[in-house]
Amino acid sequence: MWWYVGKRLLQTIPVFLGATLILFILLKLRPGDPILNLAGNKPVSDEVRDALAAQYHLDDPLFVQWFQFVKSAITLDFGETFSGQPVFDLIKQTFPVTVTLAIMALAIDAILGIGLGTIAGLRRNGWFDSSVLVVSLLLLSIPIFVVGFVMQLVFGVKLGWTSPTVGSDWTVSSLILPAIVLAIANFAYTIRLTRTSVAENLSADHVRTARAKGLSNRLVVRDHVLRNSLVPVVTYIGINLGSLMAGAIITETIFNIPGIGNAAYTAIQKGETSTVVAIVTFMVMVYVLMSLLVDLLYAVLDPRIRYV
Amino acid sequence: MRLTRRTRLAGVAMIAAAGLTLAACGGGSDDGGSGGGGGDNVITVYGTNPQNPLIPTATNEVGGGDPLNNLFSGLTAYNSDGSIVNEVAESIEPNEDSTVWTIKLKPWKFTDGTDVTADSFVNAWNYGADAANKQLNNYFFYPIAGTDENGNTLDGAKTMTGLKVIDDTSFEITLKNPESDFPLRLGYSAYFPVPESAYGSDGKITKEYGEAPIGNGPYKLTKSGWERNKQISMEPNPDYTGAHKPENKGLVFKFYAGGGTDAAYTDVQSNNGNLDVLDQVPPSALKTFEDDDKISAYNEPGSNFSSFTIPDRLAHFKGEEGQLRRAAISMAINRPQITEKIFNDTRTPATDFTSPVLDGWTEDVPGNEVLQFNEAEAKKLWAQADAISKWDGSFQLAYNSDGAGNKEFVDAVTNQIATVLGIDSSGKVYPTFDELREEVTNRTIKTAFRTGWQADYPSMLNYLGPIYATKAGSNDGDYSNKKFDQLISEASSSDGDERYAKISEAQTLLLTDLPAIPLWYQNATAATSKNLKGFEFNWQQKPDYYKLTK
Repeated sequence: MWWYVGKRLLQTIPVFLGATLILFILLKLRPGDPILNLAGNKPVSDEVRDALAAQYHLDDPLFVQWFQFVKSAITLDFGETFSGQPVFDLIKQTFPVTVTLAIMALAIDAILGIGLGTIAGLRRNGWFDSSVLVVSLLLLSIPIFVVGFVMQLVFGVKLGWTSPTVGSDWTVSSLILPAIVLAIANFAYTIRLTRTSVAENLSADHVRTARAKGLSNRLVVRDHVLRNSLVPVVTYIGINLGSLMAGAIITETIFNIPGIGNAAYTAIQKGETSTVVAIVTFMVMVYVLMSLLVDLLYAVLDPRIRYV
Repeated sequence: MRLTRRTRLAGVAMIAAAGLTLAACGGGSDDGGSGGGGGDNVITVYGTNPQNPLIPTATNEVGGGDPLNNLFSGLTAYNSDGSIVNEVAESIEPNEDSTVWTIKLKPWKFTDGTDVTADSFVNAWNYGADAANKQLNNYFFYPIAGTDENGNTLDGAKTMTGLKVIDDTSFEITLKNPESDFPLRLGYSAYFPVPESAYGSDGKITKEYGEAPIGNGPYKLTKSGWERNKQISMEPNPDYTGAHKPENKGLVFKFYAGGGTDAAYTDVQSNNGNLDVLDQVPPSALKTFEDDDKISAYNEPGSNFSSFTIPDRLAHFKGEEGQLRRAAISMAINRPQITEKIFNDTRTPATDFTSPVLDGWTEDVPGNEVLQFNEAEAKKLWAQADAISKWDGSFQLAYNSDGAGNKEFVDAVTNQIATVLGIDSSGKVYPTFDELREEVTNRTIKTAFRTGWQADYPSMLNYLGPIYATKAGSNDGDYSNKKFDQLISEASSSDGDERYAKISEAQTLLLTDLPAIPLWYQNATAATSKNLKGFEFNWQQKPDYYKLTK
């Protein structure tokens, strides 16, 4: 198994190189001149423009820029933002809150999703199943920014149970509301996925065998139905952690959470190539590691899966 | 104990997951410490993370500009109405044609205890004008002798020939052209002094200084100072003796992620001390904020001027035909309808090319009836232009869709033009501001485009010369009219009523030629918490921060 893990880790090298190259090409395709953004409405002289462009390597050929980036990235030097903050510091500062938020959302998603999904699957076509189906459909169809603003208004402003925004002095408790908002759309999926999977396994041969052996219903559900049903669910949830982090921009903006999604968004707006590439590459790496983690979890859930 | 393969695997997964979580928690506790709001009479105001180092000549956007204006004092200081008082300057005296200005300084100290001397100003300005230092505010030095039209020193020189230090407390500024209102410029942040300690051994302003500048203004940075992506905190400068003596115990510029004014507005509404002042009401609240009883609302005409420019080089917009068509287009636009329906009265229809907050502004500039909606006249003028040369093609108006409300107003304007003139007219979208500006700057743009102006200093001339004078830095439409140039330079060297008469005359010329079509003045809007006192807009559409209390 360690061999497998090592092999997978080695695979991240081409992923890193490929991702950064694609990012550089994409950002190069973005028309416009970042220096003009810096200058705003006011004129900027050619001398100053060229000097600034040289400082951030904006005028170098694409491959030279990419090579420079990779070379310094190896020593964890990702350059500086236009305001002079090292990009590495920016990531260090913004990543923790995003991870915390994503993990909290993921926990809500997993606990509620798997729990409700299992019950719905066991009592297929009952009133519980039907109402969960309707509610999850509803949640799926409401865009996240609507849920976000409504929850913020109700719980933050009207009821005053929690501060409507988070700010940079964030605590885990202040992230509960945004985490719920972030979890809502995903956990509707999780419910449906778990329900279908459980329902399918209930009629599988090994479950019938287990019942025939005289095992109690609780044991059958826990060891034989649920564990086998979780493979697709774990895949979904695991991959979701990546998208929860990258896709939290809307939630982060609504609740003023200074996370990594926002840092990336601001950098894209300003055309700060190296900042964008560094952040997105970092996210790609997180994604790759998450999928490795998910793959390892498969073996825990399904003894038939082995790694060599 | 024998570990099964499965247990080992689970272990690996758990350790990895725990590692992530721990990293997250560790980072979280780092962030603790000084709180954003609350405190005794410390006012929390909306801000954004500065995009440049906090150096007066490098900062050209509000995120850094607002903090700098409170940390530094210039030669003059602006009153709320845009007039000036001497701040660090004891006296500012012109020669008879206003080209040479002699400046004497009061005794004044930086917050590190060193004296503010003539060198503090002259060196900082020379630094800003030298292109090698990459300072974005170089443009502000173009009136001074020894610079090119962009404000850079000539031929890469280190200094401007127009600056001469006489002794420690006095210096002399020589201008390229007469300018009777030159002192009005001197309160702007590009002209702030910088202490000797800011420069490193290589003669460049150090990175450390750009992160924690030492100023001479009403406030100084607290120990925590600028915390990146979080806030800038400042406390009153105890040695400050100027005109803007703080009445509160400090300011915190609190940054909102991605500039989220929506989140900021919610914070003001909840009156919980998170945020006291939001000087920019989000588009989503513009319709309702004046009736919102959870906040105090402010809405008045401001100093931002909006227009769109039709370059001369576009087909059908030259000479007499162009004049007729521009007038027709201008009269085809129903400005009050757009400011009401789209902007919910947070814009005021324009009646000239400047701004109502300025000294000498009047509603009655001769010729401004061309800015009134007049369907019949518009059709008539367009037909006259058609008689000269038949119109073909489509009238397009370029805008950047990353600015709130741009799409809506461009759609409305082009719809009105299409309906009234019976031609094909539509908006042309650019995703970002810099993409639009690149084509405008390179002159490759083939359509009309939206333009705007935010004053550098409170003078009507600042709305005219830099934009419409021949070859001026922001003359995006390449407009050129000798008569206009002359009127502007005459106005620059005259005073009082004569000056305003010249400005009025110059504006009448613009209203005939319409190099840009004036649309509206952007209102200054703000929301503050209920217990905040002393809020008043200054000419820069900002509160006078030193007056705020709660």
